[in-house]
Amino acid sequence: MVKVYSTPTCAYCVTLKKFLTEKGIQFEAVDVSQDEAALKEMVAKSGQMGVPVINIDGQIVVGFNRNKIVELLNIKE
Amino acid sequence: MHDLIIIGAGPAGLSAAIYAARKKMNLLVLADDDRGQTAEAHQVENYLGIPSISGNELNDKFREHAKILGIEIGDGNDVEKITGNGNSFEITAGGKSYSAKCLIVATGKKYRELDVPGAKEFKGKGITYCATCDAPMFKNKAVAVVGAGDAGQDAAWQLIKYANKIYLLNKYPELRGDNRQMQEQLKTHPQVEIFNNCEPMEIKGEGFVESLTIKCNGNGREQEIPVNGIFVEIGSVPASKFLAGMVELNDKEEIVVDPKTNMSSRPGIFAAGDVTNVPHKQMIIAAGEGAKAALSVYEYLKQSK
Repeated sequence: MVKVYSTPTCAYCVTLKKFLTEKGIQFEAVDVSQDEAALKEMVAKSGQMGVPVINIDGQIVVGFNRNKIVELLNIKE
Repeated sequence: MHDLIIIGAGPAGLSAAIYAARKKMNLLVLADDDRGQTAEAHQVENYLGIPSISGNELNDKFREHAKILGIEIGDGNDVEKITGNGNSFEITAGGKSYSAKCLIVATGKKYRELDVPGAKEFKGKGITYCATCDAPMFKNKAVAVVGAGDAGQDAAWQLIKYANKIYLLNKYPELRGDNRQMQEQLKTHPQVEIFNNCEPMEIKGEGFVESLTIKCNGNGREQEIPVNGIFVEIGSVPASKFLAGMVELNDKEEIVVDPKTNMSSRPGIFAAGDVTNVPHKQMIIAAGEGAKAALSVYEYLKQSK
């Protein structure tokens, strides 16, 4: 399961979601500026407050860290 | 080997790429994963022909334009090293190496990091360098903006929508900058409190930011303000470190370029945009400088044939 925590105004969040879509990865996207429970969940899981955060089967990646995400999702580039 | 490698995919880099592609140069653009200062700009309202647009959308338009011309943008490539051997340059980026006859460096600037106790420890834990990204996370919270120049004022203005209290920390006696109208509105806004002549001393908290200690008017008395968020806007530094020793940098670490040709002190390495010593760090100027640099590369390659 892939879940993306983001805000609508953050450029890296847009880039991350676009990247996943281009690579054909299905994901759930939550807007932490609107959903307070999701914000708390994101802070608890990542130990920090910056967006985007991506949860890939329980592995947390903070920011748009392309190489890490490619590796965890086993994407062929 | 490429004719030209452009490092950076902001307005300077992509404008250079478009001009170079139209001259049929064999080129490659290398970009790191940092979306850059254009993409992080909240609103851009001074780019010719586009009255108002978010920086991210404008950056996407630049990329789309480049893609229409078939320009290859190699993302995720942090340039680690550049070496020159006579007539060509070798670039190490993202673990691979590339070679080109000429380079255009258009890496722009990166934000300057706050340097007080707690600043490193609480980065991402209440301290943020991107108001556009993170302002919505501080709904009904008290926050401080460190730095009250144009960017700090803009951050405070964006935060009014979310935070219930915004402390704006200004090291000068008065607000300065271009947008007089915004300054007047900030001064009278009930959610905003401006601290003139003040500087940050320390950030404290348990796990996450809980307070900012400040010192004002140069006297020894310190004051601790309870805040959950700290937005830092204290200027930026040129992304030129990887070129140290290769080309002349000025005392601000900007690449010194010939104003007519955009060539650096080393023949074959050109530069454009905010990373150079050209004054006025503006997107439209960067785009123009990128075009100039690409045309100069074209002339340079023609002459060196």
